[in-house]
Amino acid sequence: MATEDATAPAQQRQSQVRIHLHTKSGDIELPQDTGSILVSTELKRYQLSTLVNRLLETDKPLPLEFLINGQFLRTSLDEFLTKNGISAETTLSVEYVKALIPPIYSASYEHDDWISSVDVRSQRILSGSYDGLLRVWNMSSEVVGTGQSHTSSIKAAKFISPTQIASSGMDRTIRIWKYEDAQAAGAASLTPTLELYGHKASVDNIAVHGNSSRVLSASADHSIGLWSTKKAEAPAAPENLLPSANKRRKLSNAKQLPQRGPLSMLQGHQSQVGDVCFDEKDATVGYSASWDHSVKTWDLTTSTCVDTRTTAQSLFSICHLPESSLLATGTSARHITLIDPRASATTISAMTLRGHTNAVVSLARDPNTSYQMVSGSHDGTCRVWDIRSVRSEASDQVGESVYVIERDSAKGKRVVAGEGVKVFSVCWDKDVGIVSGSEDKQLQINSSKPSS
Amino acid sequence: NIDPESLLPKLPSPDELRPFPTVCATQYVGHKGRVRTVSVSPCGRYLASGGDDGTVRVWALFTGRQVWSCKFSSDEAVNIVRWRPGRDALILTACAGDSVYFVVPLSLCDPNHEVASRAVLDDGFGYATTSSTTTPTTKPTSSKWTRPTQKLQDAGVLLQITLNAPPKSLSYHRRGDYFSTVSPASTSTAVSIHTLSKHLTQHPFRRLRGLAQTTSFHPSKALFFLATRQSVRVYDLQAQNLVKTLQPGAKWISSLDVHPLGDNLLLGSYDRRLLWHDLDLSLTPYKTLRYHSKAIRAVKFHPNSGAVPLFADCSDDGSVQIFHGKVVGDGMENATIVPLKVLKGHRVTAGLGVLDLDWHPKEPWCVSAGADGRCRLWC
Ligand SMILES: [Mg+2]
Repeated sequence: MATEDATAPAQQRQSQVRIHLHTKSGDIELPQDTGSILVSTELKRYQLSTLVNRLLETDKPLPLEFLINGQFLRTSLDEFLTKNGISAETTLSVEYVKALIPPIYSASYEHDDWISSVDVRSQRILSGSYDGLLRVWNMSSEVVGTGQSHTSSIKAAKFISPTQIASSGMDRTIRIWKYEDAQAAGAASLTPTLELYGHKASVDNIAVHGNSSRVLSASADHSIGLWSTKKAEAPAAPENLLPSANKRRKLSNAKQLPQRGPLSMLQGHQSQVGDVCFDEKDATVGYSASWDHSVKTWDLTTSTCVDTRTTAQSLFSICHLPESSLLATGTSARHITLIDPRASATTISAMTLRGHTNAVVSLARDPNTSYQMVSGSHDGTCRVWDIRSVRSEASDQVGESVYVIERDSAKGKRVVAGEGVKVFSVCWDKDVGIVSGSEDKQLQINSSKPSS
Repeated sequence: NIDPESLLPKLPSPDELRPFPTVCATQYVGHKGRVRTVSVSPCGRYLASGGDDGTVRVWALFTGRQVWSCKFSSDEAVNIVRWRPGRDALILTACAGDSVYFVVPLSLCDPNHEVASRAVLDDGFGYATTSSTTTPTTKPTSSKWTRPTQKLQDAGVLLQITLNAPPKSLSYHRRGDYFSTVSPASTSTAVSIHTLSKHLTQHPFRRLRGLAQTTSFHPSKALFFLATRQSVRVYDLQAQNLVKTLQPGAKWISSLDVHPLGDNLLLGSYDRRLLWHDLDLSLTPYKTLRYHSKAIRAVKFHPNSGAVPLFADCSDDGSVQIFHGKVVGDGMENATIVPLKVLKGHRVTAGLGVLDLDWHPKEPWCVSAGADGRCRLWC
């Protein structure tokens, strides 16, 4: 500050600046457009929030945040203008948004091995682990149900509905489970109902669409599987991919699960497929991200690739942000690239989110707003991003994370390459908050609700 | 008055030569004692490592999860692991004690792949007995190709060659059928050339002057490179003659790698030299680089050199160094060599640092083996 003051005297300091307030959220629009208003440059977020609340005539003050040129206001307007070299003569366009609630650490659920995947539905948390077990947890950190069927580590698990689950893993299979809920520890049941064969290598991620009973799978065998969760609808399993123990099991007359094959296998990627997702608005469209650097768009009704966007890095994770028509994809090069998959888009990268220090392997959107998402990285952190918070840099639009969630197990220490605390999976639930699974064997819950 | 400096071609700055590895992305923790050797699988999904604890371990490349392991010896180190080239089969070769072992890590293959991999190893059984009368010019050897112990077979170790002395270097021909080993302790049978499909071992260099260190096959021609302590002999395997002898000027060569296009060669030496030979240019090095303060243990070109024109070396000073080394295919232009990055992280342990390194087959990622008991992935 001292140096700024020392160099500033020649410059005429303005004590007031014109601002124009606006928002994209319909529920907090101003009753009437105030046009540009003159305010003191001394104002900070809190005073601006008070001002807008007064204009909104709210009963209870609603905490607000302010975006100017894609950056959240964290200082006084005066400092902001100086730092960004903006003249106080101009009218500032100020966007206000409901304040982001910092994700507060709330609990850790201990596992016996690394946690590869997490999901949440109806106050139940699902985890898939390298020990080959599926677990369903209640909110009191008790395991209400355990599922054992995979013959190797589980890599992905998702609720299809509150009573149905899909999982996949290093045993190259996808399994469908029936889930019968209960509140008490150990009282719920997880029963495998279907084994799906077709992949030739580890199935590292899956996406599910309950209404159409469809599952998409991303495999290290370079292909994407499209599957039905309905036994009657699914084709027969390819005989040559069944485990050899299968024959023995048949002979021994042990109870055997129905085995089925894929509706189709989507080929085209040149390397292992890192992740898949459905289009959030149209479940006949799927997206995949691959180590071959590309994102592909698939027409699932015809099983054809309709678009390929090639980046410069291996891609490990993907998530669809429907309101902005963007795909977010996590890279080996430690950043997240936002891609506009529409044919009209002229550039490959719409935005780059920087901050992670290792591969970004999991992405999930904020269920409450279309502008935020959370990422999980091998650097041992999750980061919360707001795609409205962005600045121009050379030929790129660059964003920085709004919050960093450390592992509670790391006790504030940063380790090289996230050793021991790599995050493998993250999800974001409206009620529960941000749930992440890690190499530290802890399922960590960070609540993004204001504490009461 | 022209400044002579201005006439030299300007070296590009490292920033213009991205991407290259800059940070550690994964550590592989599990070995007890030094890790001596690393190799990335042809599919790029697995890292294999071996070390003083007598174990070979296979890891998932990015997560660092150990997915397979086997103890080969309780008193001898695993000196070498190398994946057999090619995507048709998944076969890992490991050297421990006097033996070379071939592994099909069972849990990592789908059923079809496993059948194909087993066939590659089994096809040679019976060949030696049926064709022993037509054994080629070189004398039969005492090398034995056998099934390993049942315990090893159960772990997926399906074939074993027992040599006269411990192999300290192993290199495959690009097609994955021929490979050579160097067992420095065995004088007349130090260098072996093996044919996997025939379970056949030959010793074509019985009267070698100098102590053999390491070998390499030319990627496309029938040429064979044999490094002794101070020179590199280039043989024509078809004509069975010596083509030329390179004079790198090193006191003790530790490692050798041939550029994927075949006309350039890297050597590392225990006397801290990194030497680049242009085979068309001269018998002496095109460039001698002295960036390390301790012995250089391994040198390696990126296998996908067209897209990723990088090479790397590693040293007992604990560092891995990354260089840009662009070779123009037509041979009209000399290679451009630019030092890019010193990767630090391995702890120097009892005077030993980084003992081996390898590249991912496609990406600008490398892995290193540390005397500190760890491997690292650099991205
Ligand atoms: Mg996942």
